[in-house]
Amino acid sequence: MEKIEFDYSKYDFKNSTAKYKILFNEGLSEDIVRKISKLKDEPEWMTDFRTNAYKFFVKRPVPEWGADLSKINFENITYFARATDKKTNNWADLPDDIRDTYDKLGIPEAEKKSLSGVEVMYESEVVYNSIKKELEELGVIFCDTDTAIKQYPELVKKYFGKVISPNDNKFAALNSAVWSGGSFIYVPKGVKVPMPLQAYFRINAANMGQFERTLIIADEGSDVTYIEGCLPAEELVSNGETFSTIESISKGNGVISHKGKKRKVEQTFQHKHVGDMFTIIPQSKGNSFRITGEHPVLCIRRESVMTKRKKRYNWEREVSTKNLMKAEPKFIPVKEIKKGDFLVYTAPIFTKNSNELNDDKLRLLGLYLAEGSVSFNKAIKRDVLQFSFGKTEKERELASEVLKIIKKNGEKGSITKTRGGYYTVASYSKTFINLCLKHCGHGASTKILSKEIMELPAKKQMILLRYYWKGDGNIYIRKKSNSKMLRAATVSRILVYQLQEILARNGIFSNISIRKASKDIINGRKIKRKEQYILEFTEDKHLGEVRRKDNYFFVPIKKIIKNSFYGMVYNFAVEKDNSYLVKGFAVHNCTAPVYSKDSLHAAVVEVIAHKNAHVKYITVQNWSSDVYNLVTKRAFAYENSFVEWIDANMGSKVTEKYPSVYLMEPGAKSNVLSVALANKGQHQDTGTKAVHLAPNTSSVIQSKSICLNGGRTTYRGLVKVKKGATDVKSSTRCDALIFDDFSRTDTYPYMEIDEEESTISHEASVGKIGDEQLFYLESRGLSELEAINMIVLGFIAEFVEELPIEFAVEFNRLIKINMEGAVG
Amino acid sequence: MEQIDIKGLEVSVNGKKVLNGVDISVQRGKIHVLMGPNGSGKSTLANVIMGNPKYIVNAGSIKFDNEDILKLKVNERAKKGIFLAFQEPVEISGVNTMNFLVTAHTNLKGKNPELRKEIIKKMGELNLSELFLKRSLNEGFSGGEKKRFELLQVMLLNPKIAILDEIDSGMDVDSVRLLGEITKKLSKDTGFLMITHNENILDYIKPDIVSIMKDGKIIRSGDYQLIEQIKKEGYKQLI
Repeated sequence: MEKIEFDYSKYDFKNSTAKYKILFNEGLSEDIVRKISKLKDEPEWMTDFRTNAYKFFVKRPVPEWGADLSKINFENITYFARATDKKTNNWADLPDDIRDTYDKLGIPEAEKKSLSGVEVMYESEVVYNSIKKELEELGVIFCDTDTAIKQYPELVKKYFGKVISPNDNKFAALNSAVWSGGSFIYVPKGVKVPMPLQAYFRINAANMGQFERTLIIADEGSDVTYIEGCLPAEELVSNGETFSTIESISKGNGVISHKGKKRKVEQTFQHKHVGDMFTIIPQSKGNSFRITGEHPVLCIRRESVMTKRKKRYNWEREVSTKNLMKAEPKFIPVKEIKKGDFLVYTAPIFTKNSNELNDDKLRLLGLYLAEGSVSFNKAIKRDVLQFSFGKTEKERELASEVLKIIKKNGEKGSITKTRGGYYTVASYSKTFINLCLKHCGHGASTKILSKEIMELPAKKQMILLRYYWKGDGNIYIRKKSNSKMLRAATVSRILVYQLQEILARNGIFSNISIRKASKDIINGRKIKRKEQYILEFTEDKHLGEVRRKDNYFFVPIKKIIKNSFYGMVYNFAVEKDNSYLVKGFAVHNCTAPVYSKDSLHAAVVEVIAHKNAHVKYITVQNWSSDVYNLVTKRAFAYENSFVEWIDANMGSKVTEKYPSVYLMEPGAKSNVLSVALANKGQHQDTGTKAVHLAPNTSSVIQSKSICLNGGRTTYRGLVKVKKGATDVKSSTRCDALIFDDFSRTDTYPYMEIDEEESTISHEASVGKIGDEQLFYLESRGLSELEAINMIVLGFIAEFVEELPIEFAVEFNRLIKINMEGAVG
Repeated sequence: MEQIDIKGLEVSVNGKKVLNGVDISVQRGKIHVLMGPNGSGKSTLANVIMGNPKYIVNAGSIKFDNEDILKLKVNERAKKGIFLAFQEPVEISGVNTMNFLVTAHTNLKGKNPELRKEIIKKMGELNLSELFLKRSLNEGFSGGEKKRFELLQVMLLNPKIAILDEIDSGMDVDSVRLLGEITKKLSKDTGFLMITHNENILDYIKPDIVSIMKDGKIIRSGDYQLIEQIKKEGYKQLI
């Protein structure tokens, strides 16, 4: 296994657009625009709309009032691309993170068959359909804009291009001519959509296109939140003690290489990926991961290890274990691997003994992991360690074993039998409380094993594991193979991968399957079940086709799913072995070159909020630094309606974006809250317009901008009050945080107030990041970077509060990534 | 013995000399009171020990545990166990106070799942409302509250050497008494360099050493009786 060779000549590093069958990248003409419309089989009015818009696009000059756009080469842009593969229509074909999104929203699980064994399938279309059904029952239309034109032609035609005319500006004109994808949402009268809608909901992944077109219509009294932005793949990478998401790993961190050794990360990369994304589903489905096609994974081709035997009866040719054991795994790009090929799961090989953790303590910790908790007893104001067992004699024995261990160490504890007949061990021992918290964590979903345990010699780890099994595990006989299966379930996502790694260190491969979160009713009470991770293995037989060789396991791939993808991907370079483990499986440092060509993202978003409606539109923009992001967003707000733009811009080379609200009728309100972060080479030219066309309308504008390393932010805003629009209230507040003398921030607040009876305020502040603030935080042990991050996150805290919690976490992380280079 | 030893320290800020050869030491488990007229360089000394980059050290040494700490970064000194309670703690908008305490504690003392309870308990002792934990750091705190919040951090972070830069100014009488009691209790484990103008604090604690600073130099050192002399005669007689 030591001599795994890597053959670079096999990969073609061509333009990733090669995967597209139909492609127009020879510049733009009216003819091309017509062709696009024809290919999409559009009605005549849309073809006319496009060609008309194209004329405006040609006529209008590139705007020169803002950021430098002179380097955009319109001849060099791909205006339309259609993937060779059909759009996927199957929920099961969706990547994990998309399904996770559903879970976070608490979508009920339609079937509860997931505990039926190893072959747990991700819930199929049922779940997708259930949300679709929920929306349908509410009368909400949510689909991509292309589909909407076919299915709801009248509705689309009534509003499309009415808020933003094709002649509004050069880039709106371009979008109108060549648009593709985007979301269409219609919320009927009085309907309040209970969850934020995301582009992920749509089964077709073309949402992140370059020229997407979104149209949201909120009818009278309705309420809807829409989120735009990409959550990156959260793949878990092993570092031998725990698992971290790939995006959170930084230079200098240790990870495990395909040789099972600890290696340092030399460099991290993130870049925009346009093209295919593969989901690899191995025999243990919980170990599925997503990866780009060029990325090599350690693999044994199935065809190279088949038996020579001819077909007998109706048997298929089988894999020969002998051949498999002899085979040399190779790094092969994902796009070339096939279903049935073997991936290599690697167990770390380094160990470190711990004197503190003797066998007794490991037994106790195993039971704590399964049955234990630490809580604060309010009555006596002390922490208490508790183990809750069942009613049986066996359970009583376990309880007394725990007590014995506690007492043997000179500490106190007691066993009680509850009224229901359950045995409970309780102890106030500080020693044991600290032991449990240190090595196993706190709370069911956050239980996690310590570094010391993960690095213990395999045999000692097995002691803990066996006792864990006594608590949380169960045994059943698999009929098919007559093998004795051991199974346990946990709600801690990290713990399950740790347990799998421990078993692997002990020479046992285990399957992980995931039982989706769900709502359930027990004794008439509605409860929310958390996502459960089920781990199973057998000690006496092979688990399916999995075979072991030293610290490696060859695991067959059950399914490979290919989706189109447009978003950020993460990767890093590892010293010496040039590899790392994604959920245990060895993958090579990515060899694909970072695709560097300035590209253009010109979207149009139109929002119509009818009487009393509320629309909240959240954007987290994190394009790679070669993108010109020139987006037109505008809303019409009618009587007493409320429109909010929550808009963050931290990616792209240049962004020009001014989400606007036209307050059309009395009582309409708007709130625009934006964050802009400009690092080296970036210019965020952002702002808003509030156009008050009716009396009693109000607008609140808050802008926060941060610039560093020569980055530039510009706030450009317009508050306009039409004559006759009396009693208008408008307040603007712009705060800028500037890091150094090379960076620049400007504020251009324009006002056109034609009505005297209005209250307009404007405040602006520019602050340099405070040396005294940094000194204060550093004196409390924070590094300079941590201190900067803390100050920056504090600066934009009001913005983060507007985000749904799962996005807030992600957002803070993205900010930190984008602050790279903040410390000289 | 764990102690800070400063020898011949010369410091300038914005081209102006502010310390002109300071010799002083602070021992773990001892209370060292530093007094002197305004502008004599006491706060400068506190900042230089902690490593404020604003000040330039031209000569001399600062050793902690016989190790030269002048090359260490601010957070590295903090990790060695040196703490500075600021004369004017800065406000930082949007930085949640609880979050700040947890981060500081994690950095300096490691994780403690019970920290929240401990914080609330100690805030009770200091007569600080739990509601502060939800606010932005030092924002909306009165002068006295800011000082008590600094003291809370001394209690939580348990440093080896704590420099208290006029922590008693802006405190009411009850708080000063509380400060005295807490310092006395903590001084079993912590060494204090206590910069003060207020002789009243000395009703509650008995310093091991008293030093007087003037024009960037230590001009007198002695035991607590030196304070009695200052009380009676003022600085002028000493100088």
